[in-house]
Amino acid sequence: MVKLIGAALILFAGTMIGFMQASRYAARPRQIRQLGYALQRLETEIGFGFTPLPEAISRCAAHLAEPAAALLRGVNERLGEGNELTFRECWERSITANWPVTAMKAAEQSALIRLGATLGISDREDQIKHLRLAMQQLKAEEDAARDDQARYEKMWKSLGVLIAALVVILIV
Amino acid sequence: MLSRVANLLPSELHSILGRIPDRVKEAVEEIRIREGKPLEISTSEGFWFVSESGSLHSSPDEAYKPSVEICRKLLEKVTNHSLYTMEEELRRGYITVAGGHRIGIAGRTVLENGSVRGIRDVAAFNLRIAREVVGASASILPHLLDMSRRSILPALIIGPPQQGKTTFVRDLARAVSSGAWGHPAAAGWTGRKVGIVDERSEIAACVRGVPTFNVGPRTDVMDACPKAEGMIMMLRSMSPDVIIVDEIGREEDADAILDASHAGVSVIATAHAKDLEDARGRPVLRRLLDEGAFQLCVELRRAQTGGLLSRVLPAAASKRAPTAREPTATKGGGAFG
Repeated sequence: MVKLIGAALILFAGTMIGFMQASRYAARPRQIRQLGYALQRLETEIGFGFTPLPEAISRCAAHLAEPAAALLRGVNERLGEGNELTFRECWERSITANWPVTAMKAAEQSALIRLGATLGISDREDQIKHLRLAMQQLKAEEDAARDDQARYEKMWKSLGVLIAALVVILIV
Repeated sequence: MLSRVANLLPSELHSILGRIPDRVKEAVEEIRIREGKPLEISTSEGFWFVSESGSLHSSPDEAYKPSVEICRKLLEKVTNHSLYTMEEELRRGYITVAGGHRIGIAGRTVLENGSVRGIRDVAAFNLRIAREVVGASASILPHLLDMSRRSILPALIIGPPQQGKTTFVRDLARAVSSGAWGHPAAAGWTGRKVGIVDERSEIAACVRGVPTFNVGPRTDVMDACPKAEGMIMMLRSMSPDVIIVDEIGREEDADAILDASHAGVSVIATAHAKDLEDARGRPVLRRLLDEGAFQLCVELRRAQTGGLLSRVLPAAASKRAPTAREPTATKGGGAFG
């Protein structure tokens, strides 16, 4: 009886781990796409609205789903704290602090951090160029993330169950 | 003085400047911040380099030198992290912030079709602390009244740079617009509609079009607008009784002032000149004086004590007085009739 319950638990845990891994693969392209939308909106706010950066960022955050919204909100919180950080520092810190919560990887992170170093400190044309560049990079990462999703999502779903089954067989 | 700009300065600079002697702190007019160069402050008495401990030196050796990081922080603070919203300001080379303070900037310029489009790589700042002196015009305004029209006479305000001309006309705008005429005979007069054409954003120090100085309740400000065009626009759309402009000197300014004065509007203008004779040496001013655009001329000097010294003269005082006075009367009357 105890053996049976143990085996069921192992099977359940293995399945769950597999599904979690699979869902990370599914979430990554989605989150990258959201960030892409955010940057597009930022481009509009900067390019046509002349909106000051803190306001533009809070507007973008308001229209985004988590966890991408948390990244932007974090930037504004740090800007508003009055501890004299430059925008680049606020941006970098918020991204590094919030990154583990997201399903995204280092490539997207470095593209975003590079963008942060240029936001707000040059004229409009320059800002738009930098935003477009970052969007292109994100797009490339999104495509790669989609390939990964197609390749690994299903695999992880079944792999979890199979490994759990293997463990059960070995134990029994 | 320094406390007014505290919110603009990065904390490092703020704490260093906070340590300078109180007497100097009150008198600071300009703070000059250059990347990697000694921090400098200037008052009406002279200039000093500031060391990290806040002591003042006349030689730059011991002075504190702001780093790249500090300059970047300062730039982000004054632009609210959004340099791109300040393109027009960058083209002009200075940013006006709330409170009327002016931050002059220098660096590498970006050209477009041969004219300056903006400044990139800002490396030097000149923070000029604005002072609003309410009542600066109180002693002079009673001499400028136009009893028949219950308004102010057209006048040319002259003085060398940094003598308080702008401060004076700003207070004049406030007084005329709020009806604080300061003369017993004018007790019942109402305020007049005042139009300020503020090409360099110095009179009203507008932030997003809203004056940050008190220029009175009936005052409209055309901010950052070329004077000649602005005066015509004001005339056309805002029906002012009085138009105030700063630092006239170009031919088209004269045309616009004559236009306005023929339309029955009192124009108050300032110009750089030592005195009335000196002003007559400038072709544009001579033309305006000769054609009777101004009835009075006010010479301003800054007194040692900090107040204003002034001398009010009839604008047509010199040799050609009779011919200059004639057209004034007929033109003014003609426009009104």
